[in-house]
Amino acid sequence: VEADDLALVSRARAGETEAFRTLVVRFQRKVYAVALGIVKDPDLAWDVAQEAFVRVHERLSTFEGKSAFSTWLFRVTTHVAIDVVRRERPSRREAVEDVREADVAEAGEGILSTSLGNDPGENALRRELAAEIERALGTLSPEHRTILVLREVEGLSYEELSERLEIPKGTVMSRLFHARKRMQAALREYAGLAGVGAEGAVGAEGRARAGEAEDGAEDGGA
Amino acid sequence: MKDCVRYAPMIGSREGELAPGEVRGLVEHLAGCPACRARAADLAATEGLVAEALLARAAARDFAPFVDQVMARIAPRAGVLGWLRAHRRAAAAMLAPALAAAALIVYVSTGGERAQVASLELSAEGEATTVIQTADGPIVLLAPEGSS
Repeated sequence: VEADDLALVSRARAGETEAFRTLVVRFQRKVYAVALGIVKDPDLAWDVAQEAFVRVHERLSTFEGKSAFSTWLFRVTTHVAIDVVRRERPSRREAVEDVREADVAEAGEGILSTSLGNDPGENALRRELAAEIERALGTLSPEHRTILVLREVEGLSYEELSERLEIPKGTVMSRLFHARKRMQAALREYAGLAGVGAEGAVGAEGRARAGEAEDGAEDGGA
Repeated sequence: MKDCVRYAPMIGSREGELAPGEVRGLVEHLAGCPACRARAADLAATEGLVAEALLARAAARDFAPFVDQVMARIAPRAGVLGWLRAHRRAAAAMLAPALAAAALIVYVSTGGERAQVASLELSAEGEATTVIQTADGPIVLLAPEGSS
């Protein structure tokens, strides 16, 4: 498949618009999914996805083929999406990135896995949770949404995340930890599984973390 | 708890992402920490949900107009630059006479004191002869025999 992508890129560079059209059709949905995860709004995600393809087309002559075309395309998509989020809601302060003892205090961990059972693929609760993902993602800060989407949709490694987001590997791990923790707390809440621990965790985070303050500001401004 | 601060962020790492020492430490920690085992179980149970949900949303959306909208935005550039890239020889053939004339003007105008004041007129007579009118009189360039 990859060789095919490169062949299409080569033809597109020579001016064959049909080759580029094929590349657009091939990647449009995944590019849109990444954009949607980061910017939240479906129409904005549509615009981001289009802008990513337009920019890639503009820079086709600079593509050296050292990485896969898709890697390059998603890198451009990420940058466009992050720019849009920053323009819409600039961060007012740096989120706290390290992991403290309060962050690893018991907060309802294990409830999701117990409820989902051993065969989550067939589980009705899993389908229910999948339906709530967008709403849960919407409660996360842009930084947390971005890293989660890049890890899960694009499948980037720690090293690739570090390079893409220009943060050290340690920050990749701690940011992912916080993103997942909040996502799981939101999912527990939607599924009626919050319990005392989970609710307490969300409240404590809200009081203790600058990153949460940022999230709260987002909610207030939305 | 102190160990959890160190190892909880490593839960969910993939093969090759941690140093061997970190992997050993994580395995040992998980063996003795029910809270982190629960964290790992939650992560495993919900793995893939984000991708599933977002890709499902993308799949449910009507993408029929998407590619046409993208192509409409790149069309003007594709039209000119794309054609030039795809037809380099034709482009060169089209531009060659203009470039040749420009080169000649530059050559004459920088060729010396007398030449600088020459008024240059370039005209083609027939297919084989070119006459340049200068202040010093006409210069006739004859094409080689057999050329067209």
